[in-house]
Amino acid sequence: MSDMWITMGPQHPFSHGLWTLKIRADGEIVQEAEPVIGYLHRGWEKECENRTYPMIIPMADRLCYSASMTWSHVYCKVVEEAMGIELTDRAKYLRVVADEICRIQSHLMWLAAMGTDLGNLTVFLWSLREREFFLDLNVKLCGQRLTTNYPRIGGVRNDMPYYFERDCLRAVDRFEKMIWELVAMMDESAIFLSRMQGVGIVSRKDAANFGLTGPTMRGCGVDFDVRRDDPYCNYDQLEWDVAVCNDGDAYGRYKVRIEEMFQSCDIIRQAMAKLDAIPKTEPTRVKAPRRVPEGTHFARVEDPRGESLMYLVSDGTDKPYRLKVRSPIFVNVSASKHLVKGVRIADIPAIMGTLDMCLGETDR
Amino acid sequence: MVIKYLDKFPKKKNARTLWVLKPMWVTLRKMFKTTLHRPVTIMYPYEKEWVPDNYRGRPGLHFDKCLGCSICERMCPTKCINMVDSPDDTGKNVLRPQVNLGRCMMCGYCAEYCPVNAMIVTPDYELAAYTREELIYGPRKLAWPNATEGMEVHLKEHLLSDIAAGETGKLTAFYEVDRPELEDKKCIGCTRCVKVCPVDAIEMYTAGENDKGKPIKLPKFDNGRCVCCEKCVDECPKDAITIKEVL
Repeated sequence: MSDMWITMGPQHPFSHGLWTLKIRADGEIVQEAEPVIGYLHRGWEKECENRTYPMIIPMADRLCYSASMTWSHVYCKVVEEAMGIELTDRAKYLRVVADEICRIQSHLMWLAAMGTDLGNLTVFLWSLREREFFLDLNVKLCGQRLTTNYPRIGGVRNDMPYYFERDCLRAVDRFEKMIWELVAMMDESAIFLSRMQGVGIVSRKDAANFGLTGPTMRGCGVDFDVRRDDPYCNYDQLEWDVAVCNDGDAYGRYKVRIEEMFQSCDIIRQAMAKLDAIPKTEPTRVKAPRRVPEGTHFARVEDPRGESLMYLVSDGTDKPYRLKVRSPIFVNVSASKHLVKGVRIADIPAIMGTLDMCLGETDR
Repeated sequence: MVIKYLDKFPKKKNARTLWVLKPMWVTLRKMFKTTLHRPVTIMYPYEKEWVPDNYRGRPGLHFDKCLGCSICERMCPTKCINMVDSPDDTGKNVLRPQVNLGRCMMCGYCAEYCPVNAMIVTPDYELAAYTREELIYGPRKLAWPNATEGMEVHLKEHLLSDIAAGETGKLTAFYEVDRPELEDKKCIGCTRCVKVCPVDAIEMYTAGENDKGKPIKLPKFDNGRCVCCEKCVDECPKDAITIKEVL
């Protein structure tokens, strides 16, 4: 039988963003796959070289619309390391709260996309409904729903408003009750399970070799989380578990993300309790110098999608000489060649959906 | 393997054994609930969501408060702010910011770094227009009539030296501490910095006489009035002025 090349994307409903997956199909079975990216290239890294250090923070938000808090966090972190600034405890815990809110709303956005991938529009609507509460928290904290622009070099933009703790804990409590509706739609549905279980199995060794990071990697059984293994922002002083699943299939990666949302709720509660113990006069922002001393630095944080890293080369002026972004999805997409090999065409959305694609940070 | 939530199913016994009946039941229950009670969504053009005062919509401007120091122009990441000559209430031309909202990314930096809080963030997010020219907001169009205190963004920073000394309650900002410094030998006394200073913080004084017996004029900075806008630094033809940072 003759093979056929099928081009999925850039406008295909399963591709969350502009990218193409070319597959060579023998009947229903995928023989070979070729991801094509670059439709969203905006020259982000080059643009940064023309801007002073504070100006890049709102641009870092635009790397990924649903992980804006962690992207500006990793940028601020690398500049702080280059300047040698140590944050105060209050600023650190505020960043933890902001990051975990960002993680929950990003995973909910993924769940929404996952629902439509599998043809379940109810999940899409319900997860977006839950997500609104966390976007409202973002508005109260920093004034914008998605492009938050909250971390600053040397701290955070503003201290939290006086009503934020109450609202945040309410939203978290409510979320932990309401998510069972979503879980009932997915975990207790035989249709969902039959499409996810045993699909797209990646072994532990392969996951490490492909360079997968984040929930995708933890769903394959690799027990690694930057928050625990390379702690930043006092994550080592909070008690939480890294969600790991040894199944390695699409359902395993789904379970890891759902479990991470529960863990994020715990982290938010603990960080809020820690913030309560710190006096409000504690500084949240220190004045950063304009120039960064000469040298090369890197910093990494745990993005909702994986391990995001920025590498900074500074030449002593007030603009970066080079800023390299290591995007988790760029690496995960590269692995799609091996992920979809030998599966049926109908399983591709289920496999690629669990990667949680974001093409803004991939092409940058 | 650390997946705890599966053990926390509300009714653990029946879970995963009911084929698709559980999701069907949950959707049905939700359908009745939202039909009888208030729906989750709102009718957008007729009713709108409440937004807090610190919502970062388009920038707004208090025309009378503004100094014309162009810090907003310098800090804008997308370079969407231009300083334009604009007549004030007495008819005199003053420098005021004009924002191209087609390029604005609503980052709020202009409001954050404004030394007198003349720039504010407004809750206005419905900015659609028929032409691109309409999106260029002049200083008068930027005004927001119902401005409250919550729309101002205050820059509150601590100095690292203060923290090291144990004083944590002292708040400051770069426009309160960073000041220009003159390198006397480079200065040619051209008085351009005096003309460009938006707050009239620079005066020329006679520092002595040169070899030919003519007076040497040097600028003198009034640190109380200065807002660290760096206009004199940019204007100086001989690079005699630098900003001294306090950290």
